[in-house]
Amino acid sequence: MRADALNGQLDSLILATIAEHPVHGYAVLQRLRQRSGGAFDLAEGTIYPALHRLERDGLLSSAWLIEAGRRRRVYSLTRAGRSALGARRRDWAQFARAVEAVLG
Amino acid sequence: MTWLHELADELAARGITGRERRRILLELRDHIDCEPGCEARLGDPGALAAGFADELATDCARRCAFDVFGALALAAVALLVSQLAIGRAGGYPGFSHGLSLALFVPAALGMFIAPQVALVAGTLAALRAARRRRARTLPAAELALIRRRAWVGLGAGIATVAGLELYVADFSSVLPGWWLALVGGLAAVAGAALLVASVRLARAGAIVTRTGGCAGDVFDDLPAIRWSWLRAHPWRLGIIASLIVAVAMTLLGWHAEHSLIEGVERGVLEGLAAATGFALLGTAIGVFTADPNTRRLTLLRRSARSPTSPERHDKTR
Repeated sequence: MRADALNGQLDSLILATIAEHPVHGYAVLQRLRQRSGGAFDLAEGTIYPALHRLERDGLLSSAWLIEAGRRRRVYSLTRAGRSALGARRRDWAQFARAVEAVLG
Repeated sequence: MTWLHELADELAARGITGRERRRILLELRDHIDCEPGCEARLGDPGALAAGFADELATDCARRCAFDVFGALALAAVALLVSQLAIGRAGGYPGFSHGLSLALFVPAALGMFIAPQVALVAGTLAALRAARRRRARTLPAAELALIRRRAWVGLGAGIATVAGLELYVADFSSVLPGWWLALVGGLAAVAGAALLVASVRLARAGAIVTRTGGCAGDVFDDLPAIRWSWLRAHPWRLGIIASLIVAVAMTLLGWHAEHSLIEGVERGVLEGLAAATGFALLGTAIGVFTADPNTRRLTLLRRSARSPTSPERHDKTR
């Protein structure tokens, strides 16, 4: 699936990926790949502007951590991020039902 | 040159520097360390830097518009308090009672003319930022318009607080100490806030974005105004706004001076000043659109958005 097909959904996918526990950028991509069965084939760099934007919007928070001698930025969901994810899941379920009803 | 070096150069070329640039580079370095040789999948460094710059420029311009509006609100408080309290302080002393005309003239210009410019430009900047708060990226022209409005508002706000401080200095031997301390203190606080906002605005302007699209004009900020006689001739809006300023300042002057005639004198003066301000700065702050092509494009875009427009009906069929 190309990146433009993900247009508008990338933020929701990132929020869902980070919801379980805090992760760094590369791990977000790995999880997206695993969960989608490799269907999401986006330029990997595009994840970082999205992470920064979600943090500026107050949906994510981040901090530098040292892991295995490496300095890496780890992202976690804020309270606002959790409620935004809940709202996006409801919207998506409604949208998917409607599309399915039409497509059959 | 490595992929990371290219990204570093592209970020710098787009005005992303300092802590933000270091953070991006460290995150991408960590990504590459996790899977050496993945640079090709990260995408073109120029496109990635442009992605960061477009979003960052939009976010910074919006935040700066609100910062400037907040700082201008402090300047407005200082000005209002000075005018509402002057009655208790014995009214405005005649200009001949001051220390020097060289202090009085810039003080009067700053206190009575600059606030109108600050109010209009600052409000328009914040209004556009608020109306476009959900947009991930905005056209470069629209960002430039928001920043221009904010700069005009800031400049006028600084002129206002400088005018207040000069007035305090000019009449320091005539007006009571409590009034001088109150107004001088409030103006100093507002001045500090305006300076902080100007530093942030300068940083926001350094980010280079090339997103296409037009900036629109004042009717994009005031969609409730539907009268075509006004939309087709934005200069009429300038005249109406100047009349409102004249009436408001007449009432304020009447209250401050306890004299209707002095209030009318001030109202007329300020109304004329507002009209002059619109004529001089109207294009810069997007009240009027200088370029006829941009104007036509804006009108077309607006008509396409209108719920009654034929284009829209066609699209939804």
